[in-house]
Amino acid sequence: MTIAEDREALLAEIGGQNKAAIGAVLGTGSIAKASERPDGTMEATIRIAEDALAWEPSVLVLPHAGTVELTIINDDKNTHACLLPSNGDRKFIGLLNHSKGRATLELDGPGYYWYGSPAGNDEGRGLTAAIVVSGEVPPEAKLDRPAQPRP
Amino acid sequence: MTIEYVDAGEAINHSQLSTMPHRAPDVTRGINYDRILQARNESHNWITYYGDYDGKRYSLLDQINVDNVKDLKVAWIHQSSATGMMASTSTYAFEACPLVVDGVMFVTGWDGLLWALDAVTGEQLWRYKHAVPFDVTLCCANVNRGCAVANGKVYMVTQNAQLLALDATTGEKVWQKTIGDVRAGESASLAPLVVKDTIITGSAGGEFGVRGHIDCWDLETGEQRWRTYTVPKPGEPGSETWPADGEAWQRGGANHWVTGTYDPELNLYYAGTGNPAPDFDGEVRQGDNLYSDSVVALDVDTGEIKWHYQFTPHDLWDYDSTMEMTLFERDGKKLLAHFDKNGYMFVLDRTNGELQHVTPFVDRIDWGAITRDGKFMPRKYPDKEGEPCHFFPGPAGAKEWTHASYHPEHDLFYVPVADVGATATRRRREFKEGMPYWGAAVEVDVDNMAGSISAFDSHGEEKWRYRLNLPMAASTLTTAGNLVFAGTPTGEFLALHAETGEELWRFQCGSGHHSSPSTYTVDGKQYITVPVGWGGWLEGIVPGMSGQGKGASLITFSL
Repeated sequence: MTIAEDREALLAEIGGQNKAAIGAVLGTGSIAKASERPDGTMEATIRIAEDALAWEPSVLVLPHAGTVELTIINDDKNTHACLLPSNGDRKFIGLLNHSKGRATLELDGPGYYWYGSPAGNDEGRGLTAAIVVSGEVPPEAKLDRPAQPRP
Repeated sequence: MTIEYVDAGEAINHSQLSTMPHRAPDVTRGINYDRILQARNESHNWITYYGDYDGKRYSLLDQINVDNVKDLKVAWIHQSSATGMMASTSTYAFEACPLVVDGVMFVTGWDGLLWALDAVTGEQLWRYKHAVPFDVTLCCANVNRGCAVANGKVYMVTQNAQLLALDATTGEKVWQKTIGDVRAGESASLAPLVVKDTIITGSAGGEFGVRGHIDCWDLETGEQRWRTYTVPKPGEPGSETWPADGEAWQRGGANHWVTGTYDPELNLYYAGTGNPAPDFDGEVRQGDNLYSDSVVALDVDTGEIKWHYQFTPHDLWDYDSTMEMTLFERDGKKLLAHFDKNGYMFVLDRTNGELQHVTPFVDRIDWGAITRDGKFMPRKYPDKEGEPCHFFPGPAGAKEWTHASYHPEHDLFYVPVADVGATATRRRREFKEGMPYWGAAVEVDVDNMAGSISAFDSHGEEKWRYRLNLPMAASTLTTAGNLVFAGTPTGEFLALHAETGEELWRFQCGSGHHSSPSTYTVDGKQYITVPVGWGGWLEGIVPGMSGQGKGASLITFSL
């Protein structure tokens, strides 16, 4: 069995299209953190590189719950789409070849969410990525008890 | 050379890509406390979770009756399944009870879904979809049991412990409150209950060592009116039932995860509470562990516990008592009936909690016994580390959360009975916030199981039994048409004669039932509606059916 030191090499083997697997294995790409404006609104860009069939970053971290404004770029030479979580309804955008659009999401936290490209089996080939919301629930929603040990 | 991007524009709501009109008639505007007090008298609607505050799940409608139910046919089907990756992908279930107001149906699904449907045609009028984290802590699946309506709004809780108020005509959110701590393992699954100008919720998470609570919120603003913890702090009444020098109370469970009932004359809300935590390791929580496995009668104005009755003191079998507390009258007395997971039917005086009598309602009970006058005698429980202990009923109980119904003309309760045992082997574990805190390895019997829809009178005498080879896992509904409706784990939706249990009609729905059917009329025509979608804590309820396959449909029947 391969040991942990080989992680990067192994990830390189399974990352990308038509390598170890048919598609890119979910959650094996890059990770990035959204930036935050003074009013607390968060911003980030997610994109699809040419022939990657994967979102960059594959894990987007939000510092807290709230509103995030995404710029969504399709640099691929194929058409995709994006279906994202947001309170109220999922947000959908079609992404023609070489296109750029926007989405505004409202997300609770903490927790993480998956989103993907609902076209063919884009989701299975690698166009499924995560949005991780950090932070704690509001103080008034916490249990009235002393701080507890966490894993 | 730089090529300009094609402008893809702004992402739109996914539901814009559908034929739904995104608008429903303003039917809930006139729903207020006075109307909910008289809910049964408008049996053409189903405006609150149990159909009325008393929890009887009894409708005055009789157009569909014992003489014509054989002609019942499908009127329409609403279908929806999972889209994308969601929490509990493999175990989500359709557990709701649909509400209906003047031709509009409001029904919750899994994963933050709520639909407004035309109750005659099934047309989807609008849809709300809350974003529920993939990693939310859920003991038993991605489920929701229903919504509440009042004053032009629809109210629901979400799996990540949010309370939402939606505009009932558009499905747009009006306000949202965080009602629990997902990092602590809290979630929410019950249908909220509107009482006066407030709405009452409870928390879930008893398998993760949380401290249970019941909450009351302002109907219009969402401002919190009160919170009552169901595990007392040191020094509070009931704290003497927990170890004096320990931390057990901080993780004591006792969650209120099924809607309570309400007596407006007594001003009391009857809340069932869940298991103490850890479920099977009682050594770390010596004492009776109040108010776990109890009914607590709360003053709805203050949240004060006026009285309580504990059905399973110092529970070692996971015998939650969250299921309905049915309010009824007998010989001029205000009573409450409860069919507990521990296999016994309890009747209490609901003015003060005084026990009237106790009766077993399932064939196999060997964890111990409770005498008719309430003496509690445990015999078998997992008390030695690593030593397996088999007992009946298993941890899903002789009756799970799904509801009995009560026909007042016949003085009969129609009980969905589960008869299956389990083996628990105590395995102590250190408490860590947000991690499962059971204190045992548990294996429910995969065969040797049975179930029934059983009719008991209010004295506890069994009057008839409709036998099944599998445990029942869905609520019953009874009507003035002298009928009892019930869905089975194998998908049959049944109509039984309310006085004899004779099967009068059946329809194979294509998936197992784990929900609460309701009934209504529109333009003088009666409908029976039932959510169908097998899932939930199947390894506990019916493990032999956990590979049966899934479904997700709302099926509505009429003559």
